[in-house]
Amino acid sequence: MIVILDSPLNLFLLFLAAFACFLAMGPPASYIKAALKIMAIAFLATMISQGFFYYFEPRTPLLVLLNKDSGPIGRFTGGITLYKEGLTYGMIQSMRLFSAALMSMVVVMSTYPSDLVLGLKKLGVPEKIGFMLTVSIRFLPALAEEAKRIMIAQRLRGLRLKGVRGNFKGFRYLIIPLIIDSLRQARRIALAAEVRGYTGKRTEIRGLKFTRLDGALLLAAIVILGAAIKYRFSL
Amino acid sequence: MMISVDNLTYTYPEAEYPAIENISLDLREGELILLIGPTGSGKSTFLYCLNGLIPHIFTGDMRGEIRVNGFSPKETSVAGMAKTVGTVFQNPESQIFMLRVEDDVAFGCENLMMPMEEVIARRDAALRDMGLVDMRHANTQTLSGGMKQRLAISSIYAMGPKVFLFDEPTADLDTKGRSEFIEIISKLKRRGHTILLAEHRYEDLLPLADRVISFDRGQVMHGVKAGNPFDQEMKQKTCDTDTAYEVELKDVTFSYDRKGGRKVLEGINIAVKRGELVAVCGDNGSGKTTLLKIMVGILRPDTGRVRVSGFDNPAIEDVVGRVGFLFQNPDEQLFTDSVEGELMFGPRQLGKNIDVEQYLGKTNLVAMRKRHPQSLSRGQRQLLAVFSIMALEPQLFLLDEPTTGLDDESWHNLFGILRELSNNGKTVIFTTHHEKAKKYADRLITIDRGGVAGSEISR
Repeated sequence: MIVILDSPLNLFLLFLAAFACFLAMGPPASYIKAALKIMAIAFLATMISQGFFYYFEPRTPLLVLLNKDSGPIGRFTGGITLYKEGLTYGMIQSMRLFSAALMSMVVVMSTYPSDLVLGLKKLGVPEKIGFMLTVSIRFLPALAEEAKRIMIAQRLRGLRLKGVRGNFKGFRYLIIPLIIDSLRQARRIALAAEVRGYTGKRTEIRGLKFTRLDGALLLAAIVILGAAIKYRFSL
Repeated sequence: MMISVDNLTYTYPEAEYPAIENISLDLREGELILLIGPTGSGKSTFLYCLNGLIPHIFTGDMRGEIRVNGFSPKETSVAGMAKTVGTVFQNPESQIFMLRVEDDVAFGCENLMMPMEEVIARRDAALRDMGLVDMRHANTQTLSGGMKQRLAISSIYAMGPKVFLFDEPTADLDTKGRSEFIEIISKLKRRGHTILLAEHRYEDLLPLADRVISFDRGQVMHGVKAGNPFDQEMKQKTCDTDTAYEVELKDVTFSYDRKGGRKVLEGINIAVKRGELVAVCGDNGSGKTTLLKIMVGILRPDTGRVRVSGFDNPAIEDVVGRVGFLFQNPDEQLFTDSVEGELMFGPRQLGKNIDVEQYLGKTNLVAMRKRHPQSLSRGQRQLLAVFSIMALEPQLFLLDEPTTGLDDESWHNLFGILRELSNNGKTVIFTTHHEKAKKYADRLITIDRGGVAGSEISR
């Protein structure tokens, strides 16, 4: 694996660029809030855990929670210490992860789902799997709506869904009707596909064409990657 | 003869007796045949024998001879039969595969491995003939129920079958969807297609039908049924003037999009007395379901005052136990592992004790008390859902389209229960788009495009 960027500042810039692309897709405010919340939690968690578990040298301790000589735990673990390099490492890892995650979300948000599936098929994914993907994507919003309705029905029967305990209980009562109803729906869909003549093979009138723009982008990507590798190894 | 059936008998795998027995029929090309009969009488089973689903998908024991346009479904695969026989099912949602309208219309032809030019030509012709040209690029998820069904029909139409099979196609549609459907059927008939239509509500289809075939417990009877034994009068009542109000809505407006979206409800002024049985009528999109949701606290009105069971502008948690709400799909409301568990679920959450035996008896499910709710039949699940809510002993019972997917007998049972509740002083409000359901209510409130269009005593 070739690592090109490992300075926190560069990675932060990359993260900002990826986030800008994400915002450019025009997601609703709730999406943005949720994304920021998740990233903030993951960021802190990674930083702290890497801070405590950093194993490479050199490492500079910032905070000693438990000395390696004090008590059995201390001797067993070698002490619990927060390291500066660990914090940095955590930051770097998170930002790498978020940049990649945000960009993959951009791909999904900017491409028509059936085109995505067509692209996958061009890469060799078999037709039946592509079909399953298409149908799943098509039914996803309906499934989400159904889950909402089930939870409302539960609250109307007195189930309290607030708090951690409530959420756990509620999950079990949500999952069963959801799965069973989905199985029923799947059965109906299968019958409908059968009478629609589905055998696994079909002529496809929708195709993806490899245009000049695609070629240009691919070339540019290869050139940039090559330059980055060369730059990295000449340091 | 387009379809000839000779001594057809079919038994589902692991069933004790045949679903259809010794059926012999000859159906001519261009005929429109109505199949009527209660749930479980064999209508769907018969249709599935014609398109090859029986015996290829549903195994079991099939005897007798069938020929459809010269093909034998026994020998030809389902996909092979699909060239001649097109099938449209009840649930429009599960018959749409693609995200774009025109892609779904082309889907069937693609499956038949027609060459690309032919697929495109057939797709465009179907879009034109079925009136979907304006929506060809639309997202299938944004279509109404009636439109979805129309899309399903168009996709089958594009494949060019000679025979069309319809299995309860309008059960999930409202009045508008249903009249659109009848238009399409008339068009197909004019073009000379052979049509078999299995339906519960069939009175308005009789003028179109060339033949009516009645199914009863797997056997076939010809001729028209002499009226519905369940069409009995239900005694209505009028409340005295000084009964208290259970539900009051004053100047209520509501829209889903606060920032000036379309107003779903506007200027709603409704008052329902305790003990009344009210039907809220209107087409899909009129706002009647939204109205019900506001009454129970699922939605809050933008302006206006809502007073329900003594609570002002209630939230769900305020009215649990006092207000019961039945959603359209009973399966979304059954979450436990046993029938008796389901009945006890609500009361247990509220710390109440109920006499389970009494409720079990009412549902007629005593013998199945330990069975998993999802293993029951559709009608039984509906009843169980209704009684699970009644076990909470609510003062107000709201039902959203409770008749969906029910046959005549179940309708009668359900409205019998609601009538009894009302006679006992409980208030019942249900939404419906069925003309027939209206006569079970004391009062009709009609909602049209977000406003109250009428509030009259039923008949």
